[in-house]
Amino acid sequence: MRLSFSRLLRIFWQSLFIQTSWSFPSMQSMGFMSDLIAGVGEEKREEILRTQKGLFNTHPYMVSYIVGATVRAYDEGRASPEEMKRFLAVAQTSFASAGDLLFWRTLRPALLLLAVILGVHYGVVGPITFLVVYNIFHLFHRVKGINDGYSMGWNVIYLLKTRRFKLVQLIFEAVGALLSGLLISLVTVNVQYLLVIPLTALFMIMLIRRYSAVLIIISVLLLIFIIGLV
Amino acid sequence: MYAVLLSLLGALIILDKYALGEFGFSQPIITGTIIGAIFGDVWFGIFLGAMIQLVFLGGLPIGRDIPPDGQAAGIITAGSYFLLRGGNSLGHSLFVALVFGLAGGIIGGVMETYARRFNEKLYNRFIHHEECLYICHTTGLATAFIRGLCLFLPLYIISSLLVIPDVFPQITQDTLAIIGVSIGLANSFYLFVKVKTMIYLLIGGICGLVLAVF
Repeated sequence: MRLSFSRLLRIFWQSLFIQTSWSFPSMQSMGFMSDLIAGVGEEKREEILRTQKGLFNTHPYMVSYIVGATVRAYDEGRASPEEMKRFLAVAQTSFASAGDLLFWRTLRPALLLLAVILGVHYGVVGPITFLVVYNIFHLFHRVKGINDGYSMGWNVIYLLKTRRFKLVQLIFEAVGALLSGLLISLVTVNVQYLLVIPLTALFMIMLIRRYSAVLIIISVLLLIFIIGLV
Repeated sequence: MYAVLLSLLGALIILDKYALGEFGFSQPIITGTIIGAIFGDVWFGIFLGAMIQLVFLGGLPIGRDIPPDGQAAGIITAGSYFLLRGGNSLGHSLFVALVFGLAGGIIGGVMETYARRFNEKLYNRFIHHEECLYICHTTGLATAFIRGLCLFLPLYIISSLLVIPDVFPQITQDTLAIIGVSIGLANSFYLFVKVKTMIYLLIGGICGLVLAVF
Protein backbone atom coordinates (compact mmCIF):
# COMPACT_ATOMS: atom_id res chain seq x y z
CA MET A 1 0.00 0.00 0.00
CA ARG A 2 1.26 3.47 -0.87
CA LEU A 3 0.20 6.99 -0.01
CA SER A 4 -0.69 9.49 -2.69
CA PHE A 5 1.79 12.34 -3.16
CA SER A 6 -0.64 15.00 -1.96
CA ARG A 7 -1.38 13.12 1.29
CA LEU A 8 2.32 12.51 1.83
CA LEU A 9 2.95 16.24 1.40
CA ARG A 10 0.14 17.16 3.83
CA ILE A 11 1.45 14.79 6.52
CA PHE A 12 5.03 15.97 5.96
CA TRP A 13 4.05 19.65 6.20
CA GLN A 14 2.06 19.12 9.37
CA SER A 15 4.85 17.01 10.90
CA LEU A 16 7.10 20.09 10.80
CA PHE A 17 4.80 21.55 13.48
CA ILE A 18 4.72 18.44 15.68
CA GLN A 19 6.24 20.21 18.71
CA THR A 20 4.68 23.65 18.18
CA SER A 21 2.31 23.33 21.13
CA TRP A 22 4.53 21.06 23.28
CA SER A 23 3.39 21.18 26.91
CA PHE A 24 4.22 19.14 30.01
CA PRO A 25 0.95 17.19 30.47
CA SER A 26 0.24 16.41 26.81
CA MET A 27 3.66 16.89 25.18
CA GLN A 28 3.17 16.54 21.38
CA SER A 29 -0.45 15.44 21.60
CA MET A 30 -2.02 18.34 19.68
CA GLY A 31 0.71 18.15 17.02
CA PHE A 32 0.16 14.41 16.61
CA MET A 33 -3.60 14.76 16.27
CA SER A 34 -3.22 17.61 13.74
CA ASP A 35 -0.82 15.48 11.70
CA LEU A 36 -3.17 12.49 11.78
CA ILE A 37 -6.13 14.62 10.66
CA ALA A 38 -3.99 16.02 7.82
CA GLY A 39 -3.27 12.46 6.70
CA VAL A 40 -6.60 10.73 7.31
CA GLY A 41 -8.91 13.59 6.36
CA GLU A 42 -11.43 15.82 8.13
CA GLU A 43 -14.18 13.18 7.81
CA LYS A 44 -12.52 11.08 10.54
CA ARG A 45 -11.67 14.07 12.73
CA GLU A 46 -14.17 13.16 15.46
CA GLU A 47 -12.92 9.58 15.66
CA ILE A 48 -9.28 10.73 15.86
CA LEU A 49 -10.01 13.27 18.58
CA ARG A 50 -12.00 10.70 20.54
CA THR A 51 -9.26 8.03 20.45
CA GLN A 52 -6.03 10.05 20.45
CA LYS A 53 -6.48 12.58 23.26
CA GLY A 54 -3.87 12.32 25.99
CA LEU A 55 -0.12 12.16 26.22
CA PHE A 56 1.96 11.61 23.12
CA ASN A 57 5.71 12.08 22.88
CA THR A 58 8.38 10.78 20.58
CA HIS A 59 11.40 12.08 18.69
CA PRO A 60 10.17 14.86 16.36
CA TYR A 61 11.81 13.37 13.26
CA MET A 62 10.63 9.83 14.03
CA VAL A 63 6.97 10.78 14.37
CA SER A 64 6.62 10.20 10.61
CA TYR A 65 6.94 6.42 11.04
CA ILE A 66 4.23 6.39 13.69
CA VAL A 67 1.88 8.73 11.81
CA GLY A 68 2.31 6.68 8.60
CA ALA A 69 1.35 3.44 10.37
CA THR A 70 -1.56 5.05 12.25
CA VAL A 71 -2.97 6.68 9.09
CA ARG A 72 -3.00 3.25 7.47
CA ALA A 73 -4.87 1.80 10.45
CA TYR A 74 -7.54 4.51 10.08
CA ASP A 75 -7.71 3.93 6.31
CA GLU A 76 -8.27 0.21 6.75
CA GLY A 77 -10.62 0.74 9.67
CA ARG A 78 -9.81 -2.67 11.11
CA ALA A 79 -7.70 -1.74 14.14
CA SER A 80 -9.53 -1.45 17.43
CA PRO A 81 -8.77 1.57 19.68
CA GLU A 82 -7.08 -0.80 22.18
CA GLU A 83 -4.85 -2.25 19.48
CA MET A 84 -3.95 1.26 18.32
CA LYS A 85 -3.17 2.37 21.87
CA ARG A 86 -0.89 -0.65 22.39
CA PHE A 87 1.00 0.13 19.18
CA LEU A 88 1.33 3.83 20.04
CA ALA A 89 2.57 3.11 23.57
CA VAL A 90 5.35 0.86 22.28
CA ALA A 91 6.16 2.83 19.13
CA GLN A 92 6.47 6.27 20.70
CA THR A 93 9.00 5.17 23.31
CA SER A 94 10.97 2.94 20.93
CA PHE A 95 11.22 5.57 18.19
CA ALA A 96 11.93 8.26 20.79
CA SER A 97 14.94 6.45 22.20
CA ALA A 98 16.19 5.49 18.72
CA GLY A 99 15.81 9.10 17.50
CA ASP A 100 17.40 10.61 20.59
CA LEU A 101 20.38 8.29 20.27
CA LEU A 102 20.75 8.73 16.52
CA PHE A 103 20.08 12.46 16.13
CA TRP A 104 20.50 14.28 19.46
CA ARG A 105 23.37 12.19 20.82
CA THR A 106 25.31 11.21 17.71
CA LEU A 107 24.53 12.75 14.33
CA ARG A 108 23.86 16.36 15.36
CA PRO A 109 26.84 16.82 17.72
CA ALA A 110 29.17 15.07 15.24
CA LEU A 111 28.06 17.30 12.37
CA LEU A 112 28.21 20.40 14.59
CA LEU A 113 31.80 19.51 15.48
CA LEU A 114 32.52 19.24 11.76
CA ALA A 115 30.84 22.62 11.18
CA VAL A 116 32.88 24.23 13.98
CA ILE A 117 36.21 22.89 12.69
CA LEU A 118 35.46 23.70 9.04
CA GLY A 119 33.92 27.06 9.99
CA VAL A 120 36.92 28.29 11.98
CA HIS A 121 39.37 27.15 9.29
CA TYR A 122 37.45 27.78 6.07
CA GLY A 123 34.55 30.15 6.90
CA VAL A 124 31.02 29.57 5.59
CA VAL A 125 31.88 26.09 4.29
CA GLY A 126 31.35 24.79 7.85
CA PRO A 127 27.81 26.05 8.52
CA ILE A 128 26.69 25.18 4.97
CA THR A 129 28.08 21.64 5.26
CA PHE A 130 26.20 21.16 8.53
CA LEU A 131 22.89 22.39 7.11
CA VAL A 132 23.14 20.28 3.95
CA VAL A 133 24.34 16.98 5.46
CA TYR A 134 22.17 17.19 8.59
CA ASN A 135 19.03 17.92 6.63
CA ILE A 136 19.66 15.07 4.18
CA PHE A 137 19.38 12.65 7.11
CA HIS A 138 16.64 14.65 8.82
CA LEU A 139 14.41 14.92 5.75
CA PHE A 140 15.09 11.33 4.74
CA HIS A 141 13.55 10.10 8.02
CA ARG A 142 10.70 12.63 7.87
CA VAL A 143 9.65 11.63 4.33
CA LYS A 144 10.67 7.97 4.10
CA GLY A 145 9.23 7.43 7.58
CA ILE A 146 5.74 8.37 6.41
CA ASN A 147 5.91 6.03 3.42
CA ASP A 148 7.45 3.15 5.38
CA GLY A 149 4.98 3.57 8.21
CA TYR A 150 2.09 3.47 5.77
CA SER A 151 3.37 0.51 3.76
CA MET A 152 4.47 -1.58 6.78
CA GLY A 153 1.69 -0.70 9.20
CA TRP A 154 2.26 -1.92 12.78
CA ASN A 155 5.41 -3.78 11.59
CA VAL A 156 7.19 -0.47 11.09
CA ILE A 157 8.64 -0.90 14.56
CA TYR A 158 10.94 -3.65 13.23
CA LEU A 159 12.71 -1.03 11.12
CA LEU A 160 14.50 0.04 14.30
CA LYS A 161 16.63 -3.10 14.04
CA THR A 162 17.79 -2.34 10.50
CA ARG A 163 21.01 -0.78 9.23
CA ARG A 164 19.19 2.53 8.63
CA PHE A 165 19.54 3.26 12.34
CA LYS A 166 22.36 1.07 13.64
CA LEU A 167 24.88 1.58 10.84
CA VAL A 168 24.46 5.37 10.64
CA GLN A 169 24.82 5.60 14.40
CA LEU A 170 28.01 3.52 14.40
CA ILE A 171 29.51 5.55 11.55
CA PHE A 172 28.76 8.89 13.19
CA GLU A 173 30.07 7.70 16.56
CA ALA A 174 33.39 7.03 14.83
CA VAL A 175 33.19 10.35 12.94
CA GLY A 176 32.43 12.16 16.22
CA ALA A 177 35.44 10.58 17.95
CA LEU A 178 37.66 11.49 14.99
CA LEU A 179 36.41 15.08 15.03
CA SER A 180 36.87 15.28 18.82
CA GLY A 181 40.57 14.68 18.19
CA LEU A 182 40.61 17.11 15.27
CA LEU A 183 39.21 19.83 17.56
CA ILE A 184 42.80 20.26 18.79
CA SER A 185 43.50 21.91 15.42
CA LEU A 186 41.62 24.99 16.64
CA VAL A 187 44.38 25.84 19.10
CA THR A 188 47.63 27.46 18.04
CA VAL A 189 51.08 26.50 19.29
CA ASN A 190 51.38 28.96 22.15
CA VAL A 191 52.19 28.61 25.85
CA GLN A 192 48.85 30.03 27.02
CA TYR A 193 47.02 27.30 25.11
CA LEU A 194 48.42 24.78 27.60
CA LEU A 195 45.52 25.97 29.77
CA VAL A 196 43.29 23.81 27.56
CA ILE A 197 44.57 20.67 29.34
CA PRO A 198 43.50 21.45 32.94
CA LEU A 199 40.30 23.16 31.79
CA THR A 200 39.28 20.16 29.69
CA ALA A 201 39.98 17.90 32.68
CA LEU A 202 37.87 20.15 34.93
CA PHE A 203 34.89 20.13 32.54
CA MET A 204 35.25 16.37 32.00
CA ILE A 205 35.02 15.78 35.75
CA MET A 206 31.90 17.95 35.90
CA LEU A 207 30.30 16.02 33.03
CA ILE A 208 31.23 12.58 34.38
CA ARG A 209 29.89 13.49 37.81
CA ARG A 210 26.70 14.61 36.04
CA TYR A 211 26.73 18.19 37.27
CA SER A 212 23.71 20.03 35.92
CA ALA A 213 24.11 21.90 32.61
CA VAL A 214 23.23 25.16 34.39
CA LEU A 215 26.09 24.66 36.85
CA ILE A 216 28.53 24.01 34.01
CA ILE A 217 27.42 27.19 32.20
CA ILE A 218 27.75 29.17 35.46
CA SER A 219 31.28 27.81 35.89
CA VAL A 220 32.13 28.94 32.33
CA LEU A 221 30.75 32.38 33.24
CA LEU A 222 32.89 32.47 36.41
CA LEU A 223 35.93 31.44 34.40
CA ILE A 224 35.32 34.28 31.95
CA PHE A 225 35.01 36.71 34.89
CA ILE A 226 38.24 35.49 36.50
CA ILE A 227 40.19 35.57 33.22
CA GLY A 228 38.65 38.96 32.34
CA LEU A 229 39.77 40.41 35.68
CA VAL A 230 43.27 38.95 35.42
CA MET B 1 16.47 50.28 15.32
CA TYR B 2 19.07 47.55 14.77
CA ALA B 3 18.20 46.14 18.22
CA VAL B 4 14.50 45.78 17.29
CA LEU B 5 15.15 44.29 13.85
CA LEU B 6 17.72 41.88 15.25
CA SER B 7 15.31 40.81 18.02
CA LEU B 8 12.59 40.11 15.45
CA LEU B 9 15.02 38.10 13.33
CA GLY B 10 16.26 36.22 16.41
CA ALA B 11 12.70 35.45 17.53
CA LEU B 12 11.93 34.08 14.05
CA ILE B 13 15.06 31.94 13.96
CA ILE B 14 14.46 30.57 17.47
CA LEU B 15 11.18 29.03 16.21
CA ASP B 16 13.43 26.45 14.56
CA LYS B 17 14.54 25.26 18.00
CA TYR B 18 11.38 23.22 18.56
CA ALA B 19 8.28 25.01 17.30
CA LEU B 20 8.82 24.75 13.55
CA GLY B 21 10.82 22.29 11.49
CA GLU B 22 13.99 21.84 13.55
CA PHE B 23 16.22 22.13 10.49
CA GLY B 24 19.18 23.34 12.55
CA PHE B 25 19.02 27.02 11.51
CA SER B 26 18.93 28.04 15.18
CA GLN B 27 22.22 26.35 16.07
CA PRO B 28 24.78 28.95 17.28
CA ILE B 29 27.23 28.26 14.43
CA ILE B 30 24.50 29.10 11.89
CA THR B 31 23.06 32.13 13.72
CA GLY B 32 26.59 33.46 14.30
CA THR B 33 27.17 33.26 10.54
CA ILE B 34 23.88 35.00 9.73
CA ILE B 35 24.35 37.81 12.27
CA GLY B 36 28.01 38.19 11.28
CA ALA B 37 26.95 38.54 7.63
CA ILE B 38 24.40 41.23 8.57
CA PHE B 39 27.11 43.26 10.32
CA GLY B 40 29.70 42.63 7.57
CA ASP B 41 32.04 40.38 9.58
CA VAL B 42 31.15 36.82 8.67
CA TRP B 43 34.34 35.23 9.99
CA PHE B 44 34.02 36.66 13.49
CA GLY B 45 30.33 35.74 13.54
CA ILE B 46 31.29 32.15 12.70
CA PHE B 47 34.03 32.18 15.35
CA LEU B 48 31.64 33.42 18.06
CA GLY B 49 28.95 30.94 16.98
CA ALA B 50 31.52 28.13 16.96
CA MET B 51 32.68 28.86 20.51
CA ILE B 52 29.13 29.05 21.88
CA GLN B 53 28.33 25.87 19.95
CA LEU B 54 31.17 24.06 21.73
CA VAL B 55 29.92 25.24 25.14
CA PHE B 56 26.42 23.89 24.44
CA LEU B 57 27.41 20.79 22.45
CA GLY B 58 26.31 18.43 25.22
CA GLY B 59 22.88 19.98 25.94
CA LEU B 60 20.56 17.22 24.81
CA PRO B 61 16.78 17.86 24.85
CA ILE B 62 15.75 14.37 25.91
CA GLY B 63 12.23 13.66 27.24
CA ARG B 64 10.88 16.28 29.65
CA ASP B 65 14.36 17.71 30.35
CA ILE B 66 14.84 21.30 29.12
CA PRO B 67 18.55 22.15 29.19
CA PRO B 68 19.88 25.76 29.07
CA ASP B 69 19.01 27.35 25.74
CA GLY B 70 22.17 27.11 23.63
CA GLN B 71 20.38 28.44 20.56
CA ALA B 72 19.30 31.61 22.38
CA ALA B 73 22.81 31.97 23.83
CA GLY B 74 24.25 31.92 20.30
CA ILE B 75 21.81 34.54 19.01
CA ILE B 76 22.36 36.82 22.05
CA THR B 77 26.17 36.54 22.04
CA ALA B 78 26.60 37.27 18.33
CA GLY B 79 23.98 40.06 18.23
CA SER B 80 25.16 41.74 21.44
CA TYR B 81 28.81 41.61 20.37
CA PHE B 82 28.17 43.40 17.08
CA LEU B 83 25.85 45.95 18.74
CA LEU B 84 28.37 46.63 21.54
CA ARG B 85 31.30 46.89 19.13
CA GLY B 86 29.87 50.11 17.71
CA GLY B 87 30.85 52.15 20.78
CA ASN B 88 33.24 49.97 22.78
CA SER B 89 36.61 48.23 22.50
CA LEU B 90 36.70 44.68 21.10
CA GLY B 91 37.83 43.13 24.42
CA HIS B 92 35.09 44.79 26.45
CA SER B 93 32.43 44.01 23.82
CA LEU B 94 33.44 40.36 23.73
CA PHE B 95 33.36 40.06 27.53
CA VAL B 96 29.92 41.65 27.94
CA ALA B 97 28.48 39.77 24.93
CA LEU B 98 29.62 36.45 26.42
CA VAL B 99 28.17 37.28 29.83
CA PHE B 100 24.87 38.29 28.18
CA GLY B 101 24.88 35.19 25.98
CA LEU B 102 25.61 32.61 28.67
CA ALA B 103 23.27 34.24 31.20
CA GLY B 104 20.68 34.52 28.41
CA GLY B 105 21.06 30.79 27.75
CA ILE B 106 20.16 30.01 31.36
CA ILE B 107 17.28 32.53 31.45
CA GLY B 108 16.11 31.22 28.05
CA GLY B 109 15.82 27.69 29.49
CA VAL B 110 13.66 29.00 32.35
CA MET B 111 11.52 31.05 29.95
CA GLU B 112 11.03 27.98 27.78
CA THR B 113 9.56 26.16 30.76
CA TYR B 114 7.07 29.04 31.21
CA ALA B 115 6.27 29.06 27.48
CA ARG B 116 5.46 25.38 27.67
CA ARG B 117 3.32 25.95 30.75
CA PHE B 118 1.37 28.48 28.70
CA ASN B 119 0.98 25.78 26.03
CA GLU B 120 -0.58 23.68 28.80
CA LYS B 121 -3.37 26.27 28.99
CA LEU B 122 -3.81 25.95 25.22
CA TYR B 123 -4.16 22.18 25.63
CA ASN B 124 -6.74 22.63 28.39
CA ARG B 125 -8.66 25.00 26.14
CA PHE B 126 -8.59 22.41 23.38
CA ILE B 127 -9.89 19.74 25.77
CA HIS B 128 -12.99 21.88 26.44
CA HIS B 129 -13.36 23.19 22.87
CA GLU B 130 -12.35 20.45 20.46
CA GLU B 131 -13.13 22.58 17.42
CA CYS B 132 -10.19 24.86 18.43
CA LEU B 133 -7.51 22.20 17.78
CA TYR B 134 -5.70 24.06 14.98
CA ILE B 135 -5.94 27.46 16.68
CA CYS B 136 -4.68 26.12 20.01
CA HIS B 137 -1.93 24.15 18.29
CA THR B 138 -0.63 26.97 16.07
CA THR B 139 -0.81 29.51 18.91
CA GLY B 140 2.25 27.63 20.15
CA LEU B 141 4.16 29.42 17.36
CA ALA B 142 3.22 32.76 18.90
CA THR B 143 4.28 31.52 22.35
CA ALA B 144 7.71 30.53 21.05
CA PHE B 145 8.07 33.78 19.07
CA ILE B 146 7.12 35.97 22.04
CA ARG B 147 9.48 34.06 24.31
CA GLY B 148 12.32 34.82 21.88
CA LEU B 149 11.34 38.47 21.57
CA CYS B 150 11.11 38.95 25.37
CA LEU B 151 14.53 37.37 25.74
CA PHE B 152 16.38 39.19 22.95
CA LEU B 153 14.87 42.68 22.91
CA PRO B 154 15.98 43.91 26.39
CA LEU B 155 19.49 42.51 25.98
CA TYR B 156 19.89 43.97 22.49
CA ILE B 157 18.59 47.39 23.59
CA ILE B 158 21.05 47.41 26.50
CA SER B 159 23.84 46.31 24.14
CA SER B 160 23.10 49.11 21.68
CA LEU B 161 23.08 51.77 24.42
CA LEU B 162 25.78 50.50 26.76
CA VAL B 163 29.09 52.34 27.09
CA ILE B 164 31.47 50.05 28.99
CA PRO B 165 33.90 51.81 31.38
CA ASP B 166 37.62 51.10 30.83
CA VAL B 167 37.99 49.53 34.28
CA PHE B 168 35.60 46.76 33.24
CA PRO B 169 37.10 43.27 32.59
CA GLN B 170 37.83 42.33 29.00
CA ILE B 171 38.59 39.15 27.15
CA THR B 172 40.62 38.36 24.04
CA GLN B 173 39.77 36.14 21.11
CA ASP B 174 42.53 33.73 22.17
CA THR B 175 41.12 33.41 25.68
CA LEU B 176 37.67 32.69 24.29
CA ALA B 177 39.19 30.03 22.02
CA ILE B 178 40.89 28.40 25.03
CA ILE B 179 37.63 28.24 26.99
CA GLY B 180 35.59 27.16 23.96
CA VAL B 181 38.00 24.41 22.91
CA SER B 182 38.35 23.14 26.51
CA ILE B 183 34.64 22.69 27.08
CA GLY B 184 34.18 21.51 23.48
CA LEU B 185 36.78 18.78 24.02
CA ALA B 186 35.17 17.76 27.31
CA ASN B 187 31.71 17.65 25.72
CA SER B 188 32.83 15.70 22.67
CA PHE B 189 34.93 13.23 24.72
CA TYR B 190 31.88 12.66 26.92
CA LEU B 191 29.64 12.07 23.90
CA PHE B 192 31.86 10.06 21.59
CA VAL B 193 34.79 8.45 23.33
CA LYS B 194 34.31 4.77 24.10
CA VAL B 195 36.69 1.84 23.98
CA LYS B 196 35.65 1.01 20.40
CA THR B 197 36.04 4.60 19.15
CA MET B 198 39.36 5.30 20.91
CA ILE B 199 41.36 4.58 17.75
CA TYR B 200 39.44 7.25 15.82
CA LEU B 201 40.08 9.76 18.61
CA LEU B 202 43.81 9.04 18.41
CA ILE B 203 43.87 9.40 14.61
CA GLY B 204 41.88 12.67 14.88
CA GLY B 205 44.16 13.92 17.65
CA ILE B 206 47.32 13.28 15.63
CA CYS B 207 45.81 14.96 12.55
CA GLY B 208 44.63 17.88 14.74
CA LEU B 209 48.10 18.36 16.21
CA VAL B 210 49.66 18.31 12.74
CA LEU B 211 47.13 20.92 11.55
CA ALA B 212 47.76 23.07 14.66
CA VAL B 213 51.55 23.01 14.20
CA PHE B 214 51.61 23.60 10.44
